[in-house]
Amino acid sequence: MTTSTAALDRPATGARVRVTRSRRPRPFLGLVALAAVAVLAAMPALVGAGITAKLVDGFILLTLASMWNLLAGYAGLVSVGQQTFIGLGSYVVLVLAQWGLQPYLALPLAAVVCAALALPVSWLLFRLRGGYFAIATWVVADAVLLVVSHFPSLGGGTGAILPGIAGIAPLTRLAWTYWSALAVAVAALGVTYLLLRGRLGLVLTAVRDDEIGARSVGARVGWAKRIVFLVAAAGCGAAGGLLILSQLNVQAPSVFSVEWSAKMIFVTIIGGIGTLEGPIVGTIVFVLLQELLAGFGAWYFIALGTVAVVIALWSPRGLWGFVADRVHLRPFPIGYWLWVDDDTGAGAGRAEKGVE
Amino acid sequence: MAAPLLELHGISKRFGQVVVADDLSLDVQPGDALGIVGPNGAGKTSLFGIVSGDLTPDTGQVRLGGNPITHLDAAARSRLGIGRTYQVPRPFEGMTVFENALIAAQQGGATRGRASHQLAADVLADTGILAEANRPAGQLGLLQRKRLELARALATRPRLLLLDEVAGGLTDPEVAQLVAIVQRARASGAAIIWIEHVVRALVAVVDRLVCLAGGRIIGDGVPSVVLANPAVREVFLGTEATAESFAAAGLVAGAGS
Ligand SMILES: Nc1ncnc2c1ncn2[C@@H]1O[C@H](COP(=O)(O)OP(=O)(O)OP(=O)(O)O)[C@@H](O)[C@H]1O
Ligand SMILES: [Mg+2]
Repeated sequence: MTTSTAALDRPATGARVRVTRSRRPRPFLGLVALAAVAVLAAMPALVGAGITAKLVDGFILLTLASMWNLLAGYAGLVSVGQQTFIGLGSYVVLVLAQWGLQPYLALPLAAVVCAALALPVSWLLFRLRGGYFAIATWVVADAVLLVVSHFPSLGGGTGAILPGIAGIAPLTRLAWTYWSALAVAVAALGVTYLLLRGRLGLVLTAVRDDEIGARSVGARVGWAKRIVFLVAAAGCGAAGGLLILSQLNVQAPSVFSVEWSAKMIFVTIIGGIGTLEGPIVGTIVFVLLQELLAGFGAWYFIALGTVAVVIALWSPRGLWGFVADRVHLRPFPIGYWLWVDDDTGAGAGRAEKGVE
Repeated sequence: MAAPLLELHGISKRFGQVVVADDLSLDVQPGDALGIVGPNGAGKTSLFGIVSGDLTPDTGQVRLGGNPITHLDAAARSRLGIGRTYQVPRPFEGMTVFENALIAAQQGGATRGRASHQLAADVLADTGILAEANRPAGQLGLLQRKRLELARALATRPRLLLLDEVAGGLTDPEVAQLVAIVQRARASGAAIIWIEHVVRALVAVVDRLVCLAGGRIIGDGVPSVVLANPAVREVFLGTEATAESFAAAGLVAGAGS
């Protein structure tokens, strides 16, 4: 035997293979994540109310972008109607609070109700493909807006105030809202990570690259898409619940606005669609841009649009795609790395060319 | 006698004016190795689409092991044991070579955990691309893409393997390696239907040859006999390198009989 590579080219009957989820071990990854969450959780005590409120908006955006990334970046479901579930999430919290439930406790229920409602909606929408699917998601959002606007108890078209929260001191309330938003964002990222790391994740990644190919190797693509649709509805519903908790009132035209779709698409595209990290990068960049450009009035939108176009042209896989192409940085180990122990007993040795 | 592995009954399919299958019927027995030849546009790839579930026939029925599967989608058929390669390889470009094989092993091949890792590694070794396991599939060249296409189909543990021009565009030694892979697949018990313009490669593996033209079967039988059939020779006239490949194939077939 001359080289280990020649040995690898033989049928591997008996060759011992080992699979790790990243190329190098990451013993501290969980700790780093935990520390990051702990620091973020301490923020309300460290920064002022203004920044805390902005971070709440950031967490809402991160949640929305992560969900849209799952939908469009992986499952091929280009939705421009996720505001359906943002709005429904807001109103579920409102109605439950009107019935006397503590609004913060209503938040998880908003996610559950939205996932449940997403099932019949998916029966309708999944008959359509591509552009028709996209338009139909928007139509559904507008239809739900019309229905919601008809109920006087929901404030009609003008708006309703969230009850059951007036007794809480403003700063305490802000801190609770902040922690709720942090919890929702962490859950959105956590669920996305677990989804992509499991068997279903391999299917979703394959669908991202080639849906027909995925079907041809036996992947139940329709099933995977439906799960993603339900998860995204839950995430957007929770984000909607956070909106009413942070604003203390809800206006139907605002929560059911297509602007939400524009925002989540923007954040996902600049950050990097089809990667777990993209929405995180996108949210950070978006929030910073917002701060930088806040004083420029209408120029703000023009600048934002220009940034999106430039990034899309210069790096189709967004800022994260640009980084990941240059450094082997994979904070979330969701891939599979194969090690073959060759029969010289030299231990795990693998050709690693071409990866970086 | 047991039902044939694959039965096509009265399959018709047209795209507008183009007829790709015209009341076509065909049986394949378990363990068979069947070659399909025919001019460009004869409907060979479309026939694979109808068998694998990528295309729905206008009329007719597809059965696998005696059970109708016409209404099943491609994923369900893959799980029932129909594995296919595509004429133009379509790897999952953003995934590694190993991940490409792994999803096939887990979904179509119905394996989990370590068993799926082993199966994926085995098919990569068998097709000679284990050394590329951790490379993004999008970086592969043509030969390696063709090998990966084969590996992925094999990882679904097919009872029926559909090969669409896996030898096209390759050099003679490369073709010889592919032939060896296909022969191993056959030895493991899979029935094979192989579309190939490289008749030389085909007759080294198959014991039955079907010639398609205009969506119809114009020849079906022992390769040397089919290739000697005047109707078959007729449709090949004028197509590139035909005389040469016929001569080579005739030699091989003649030597075997
Ligand atoms: N999806 C489609 N829509 C319209 N026409 C199609 C479609 N698929 C195939 N055709 C047409 O059907 C005919 C048969 O195509 P097919 O790919 O089955 O031929 P083939 O025998 O595999 O040819 P080749 O040897 O070139 O691969 C061709 O004329 C092709 O243009
Ligand atoms: Mg073809």
